[in-house]
Amino acid sequence: MGPGRLTLAVKYKRVSGDAVEYAVFARKTRAEPLRQVGSVVAPDDDLAAAYARATYDEERWIEMAIVRKDHVIALWTPGES
Amino acid sequence: MSLSGLVLSIADNKQMLGLRYAEWATRAPSLEADIAAAAMGLDDLGHSRVLYGCLDPLGEDPRTANRETDPASLSALPYFDEPWSSWAHFVAANAILDTAFTVMVEACVNGKVEVLRHRLRKMLTEERYHFLHGRSWLRSGIEKGPLDEAWKQAIEWFGPPDGDTAGLHKEGKLSMGPAELKARLEERVETKAPAIKADWNGWDPIRRRTRPGAVDDLTFGMLRGLEEKRFAPATTEKQA
Repeated sequence: MGPGRLTLAVKYKRVSGDAVEYAVFARKTRAEPLRQVGSVVAPDDDLAAAYARATYDEERWIEMAIVRKDHVIALWTPGES
Repeated sequence: MSLSGLVLSIADNKQMLGLRYAEWATRAPSLEADIAAAAMGLDDLGHSRVLYGCLDPLGEDPRTANRETDPASLSALPYFDEPWSSWAHFVAANAILDTAFTVMVEACVNGKVEVLRHRLRKMLTEERYHFLHGRSWLRSGIEKGPLDEAWKQAIEWFGPPDGDTAGLHKEGKLSMGPAELKARLEERVETKAPAIKADWNGWDPIRRRTRPGAVDDLTFGMLRGLEEKRFAPATTEKQA
C-alpha cells in the first residue's frame, strides 16, 4: 500500500452529476451586510456547509451562510432591467 | 491507563488522522473535497497540539524518550499505520474514527477535569464540519471493508467494558464509558456498529489497539522532522 497505488474503486456520481451549486455569504462585522464571497458545488446541504467552511474560512468572518443557487428567485438579470 | 494516557492517545491519533487527511489534499474526488481534506487535516493537527499541551497541566506526561526512535511507541491506531489506498478508507476514517475521537473529546469536555473542560471545547465546534463531511460521504455508500475496520478499531479504542475508560467514567473524569461512547457514536452517524467481537486479551492498553505494528517509516520520519531537514540548506544546519 502506498501513495503510488491509490485507487478510486467507486465512481462517485455525486461529484458532478448529482451536485448543485451553493452561493456562500459572509460578513466580518455586525455593521456590514452579508455579501457573497464565493460558491461551492456539492450534492447536499451538509457537504456544501463543510466545503464552504473549508474553502472560505481564511478570513475572520462573524457569520457565514450558504444558499442553493436554484432557490434564489431572480427578479431580473443583467440586461433585463 | 491514566487520563493523561488517554489524552495522549487522542493526540497521537488526531496527529496521524491530520497527516493522512493531508495526503488526500490533491487526490479527493473533487476540488471541494481536496480543500476539505486539507482543512480537516490542519484542524486535526492543531487539535493534537492542544491535546499535547494538556499533558503537563494534567500532572503527568506519559511520553517517553523512545518516541524519537521507535514508531511503535506512538499510541495511534493500526488504521493510520499506512497511507490510505482508497477514498473509501478516507471516508470511513472521516465518518467513524474522526467522530469516535470527537465523542471522546465530548466525554472529556463534559467530565470534571477543568483543563480538559476549557481547552477542548472549541474542538467540538470545528469538528462539526468534519462530521457533516464524513456523514454525507458515508450516506453515499462506500465499500464495506474499510468501514467495518474503522468501526472495529473505534470500539477497541473506546476500551474494554471494565477497562480504563469505564474507570475514568466512574470517577467522573469522563462523562461516558465505553458503552455510552459506542452508543453516542452510533447515534451521531445514524447507523449501528457491525457485530464485532473484540479480542480484549490481545488488547494493548497503552496503544489502545489489538493489532501489532506501527506507522510506516516515511511518515515516522515526517513526524520527527527528518523529511524537512533533508531540504534544509546546509548553512541553516550549521547555524542550528
